[in-house]
Amino acid sequence: MLPLDGIKVLSFGTGGVGPDFGKVMGELGADVIKIESKDNLDFMRTIGPDINNIAGFNEANRNKRSFGVNLKTEKGRELVAQLVKMCDIMMENYRGGVMKTLGLDYENVREINPNIIYASSQGFGRGGPYSEYQAYGPMLSGASGMLSLWAQPDDPYPVGSNAPIPDHVASKYLVVAALAALDYKRRTGKGQFIDMAQTEVAVGMVGEYYLDYTMNKRVPKPMGNRSLYAAPHGCYQCQGDDEWCAITVFTDEEWKSFCECIGSPPWTTAPRFANFLSRLHNVDELDKLVEEWTSTRSAMGVMNTLQAAGIPAGVAQRAPETLTDPQLKEDGAVVELEHPVAGKRLYPNVAFRMSGASGFTSTPAPLLGQHTVEICHELLGMSAEEANRLADEGVLYISDT
Amino acid sequence: MGDERVGSLTGYRVLDLTDSKGAYCAKQLADLGADVIKIESPNGDPGRGIPPFLNDTPHPEKSLYFLHRNTNKRGITLNLGTEQGRTIFHTLIKKADVLVHNSPPDYMSGLGLSYEELKKINSEIIMASISEFGYKGPYKNWKGSNLVDFALSGTLITSGFPGKPPCVAPGSPAHDAASVHASISIIAALFMRGTTGEGQHIETSVHETSRMGLYPWVVPVYSYNTNPDGPPPMPETRMGASIYPVYPCKDGFIRVIALTPRQWDALVKVLGNPEILQLPEWRDFIYRIGNAADLYPLVVEYTRESTMTELFEAGSREGVPIAPVYKIDDFYNSPQTKARQSFVEVDHPIAGKGEYPAPPYRYSETSASIRCPAPCLGEHNEEIYSQELGYSKDELVALRAAGVL
Repeated sequence: MLPLDGIKVLSFGTGGVGPDFGKVMGELGADVIKIESKDNLDFMRTIGPDINNIAGFNEANRNKRSFGVNLKTEKGRELVAQLVKMCDIMMENYRGGVMKTLGLDYENVREINPNIIYASSQGFGRGGPYSEYQAYGPMLSGASGMLSLWAQPDDPYPVGSNAPIPDHVASKYLVVAALAALDYKRRTGKGQFIDMAQTEVAVGMVGEYYLDYTMNKRVPKPMGNRSLYAAPHGCYQCQGDDEWCAITVFTDEEWKSFCECIGSPPWTTAPRFANFLSRLHNVDELDKLVEEWTSTRSAMGVMNTLQAAGIPAGVAQRAPETLTDPQLKEDGAVVELEHPVAGKRLYPNVAFRMSGASGFTSTPAPLLGQHTVEICHELLGMSAEEANRLADEGVLYISDT
Repeated sequence: MGDERVGSLTGYRVLDLTDSKGAYCAKQLADLGADVIKIESPNGDPGRGIPPFLNDTPHPEKSLYFLHRNTNKRGITLNLGTEQGRTIFHTLIKKADVLVHNSPPDYMSGLGLSYEELKKINSEIIMASISEFGYKGPYKNWKGSNLVDFALSGTLITSGFPGKPPCVAPGSPAHDAASVHASISIIAALFMRGTTGEGQHIETSVHETSRMGLYPWVVPVYSYNTNPDGPPPMPETRMGASIYPVYPCKDGFIRVIALTPRQWDALVKVLGNPEILQLPEWRDFIYRIGNAADLYPLVVEYTRESTMTELFEAGSREGVPIAPVYKIDDFYNSPQTKARQSFVEVDHPIAGKGEYPAPPYRYSETSASIRCPAPCLGEHNEEIYSQELGYSKDELVALRAAGVL
């Protein structure tokens, strides 16, 4: 039994947040139907030559079925309205205003399904001048203030990361919001509308810096990898090309073990490194000395040595290290799935265990329109011939494979 | 404050034994209306020692980190190391729906407080355990920290400028990613309990979930680039500056996400159609990344002419995603923030008034807001122990003297 057995979710998502929301709801057991159009593709299908063979798309769109339909046709909208009627949760993260143009905004949808839970998430959220602005994760780290703190103090400007933060955290926040609404509906019968601003998710992640501004009246500056209450606290170069290990020493006990691990060179007993305040005061010199030790060792060696002595340390891992990480292996953190076009590929697996649930699985992302006929038959009471006729008329889209 | 509606989780009681690693999980449940009781040892949650502090004065009630992550909770002290403390804890468990903790492996079972024991007292209890590296396996006794977990998640190696040390994101993103996964499974378990009537035990680790919350593409992108007999893919490194370039402008910086040729054309238009940017090869994203060093100064010449807001608005008009790189004050003062009331005034008995970030969601039917500040250490001892559990004031004094509270 899975937590969301029997729950139907209609997903009108594009990019990161919407699709990843559906992926998690699907992991939890919901039947998630992705409403897709050939003429207005999820943009993640468009960042490579084959719409069905893109890693980012196929990661975020697992655990759902694809219903190919042209929402610009009246018949298409009518079929989707029937699906809306039978679903518990509907989610959309299109640019603000798009769902209204399609006649699928909450006001319209609740006429058809009064108790629906309608989760809507735009980059900047509703009800302001930027509500209808297009938004991508890497923009929102910028527009939330997070990026301004994501830099080394001597960087000319912050550049953040390849990772589109806050996308994949925001999607999970939206799951939290929708699940809470679902449980409220279970108890009261009432559905509702949820509006989540992705910028505000990022703001919550750096909330202490906002309090630093509103209460201490100053604009915080980036600190890079340094900490205000620990030293050493950094990312240190190791042997090899672009190999690094993060090391953080918080307590005096950890500092003592650290000194022993690195062979207790004379500098470790110098008064200027005796306690964390003095270490913070002399952190530039300290970091250099630590790096002298790490730079002649492999990152893995540094991590294993320090962890064995009870010191938090971790390699700046890439995919190959992740795949051989013995703890992630133990957790079953990676799953291989066979996708009809992409073939056998690796993805992150469900990341939590629930003793009362069983049967967690992951299914490959759908091809565009892969389940159109199946959904027509199963949910809309339509024959395959009828579905094919509607496909010929340009109302539905059915994948060839 | 001042929203009189109930939250979507109002009616549930959560016992919060977490420190900074799981604090955000319990806060999420509290933001949605759950009655969260934060249980601290008499010495207080170590999270109270995390800077920055109000007026830079270290004080257990003035950690801005703690104040933000513990709003909407009530707080009591309880020493689980004493037998009487555990007896009281059993009483609390009887009336609770959820227990969330991030203790090290074997700590709870060592106290006789494993899920197996607790469910004998309350079969409906949902216990969520957030570990650093899992409760079994080779790393089970390893220690983590936000920076270490961020490194292992695969995100650190991609963060910062190429040629410089990788740079961690601000806050504690790895712990937040773990917290939100715990929240998801807790609410899913509450929903399930509505059908089954049974509680359950949830396990998750920061090591496992930080990848999912921060950068789940690491493994799939690698896997999609690996083919039998093919060359291994390029090792992943720091590409933020070339994929999502940041340019200086009149009053700050902007970040541009031009991926498609159409978005590039729109950017050129925003910049006033300079001839030098109209060369057809620039329309190709991969060509631009390959020649980022040459392109950068050409673009800067034009972005410098305008302000963040002018470029942000023009980008939206023409169809190229351009974001302002807001500093903390810029976001706070932006018109969208004002319109959405993204901050809520909270008055804390010792730290005083402050504007706190509101939860990111607005519900049409239920409330998601900040109802009360983070608790002072033991602030609700009397309210909970006396008024709810029936201990007399004398008994409280005695329990305190015995080191139980």
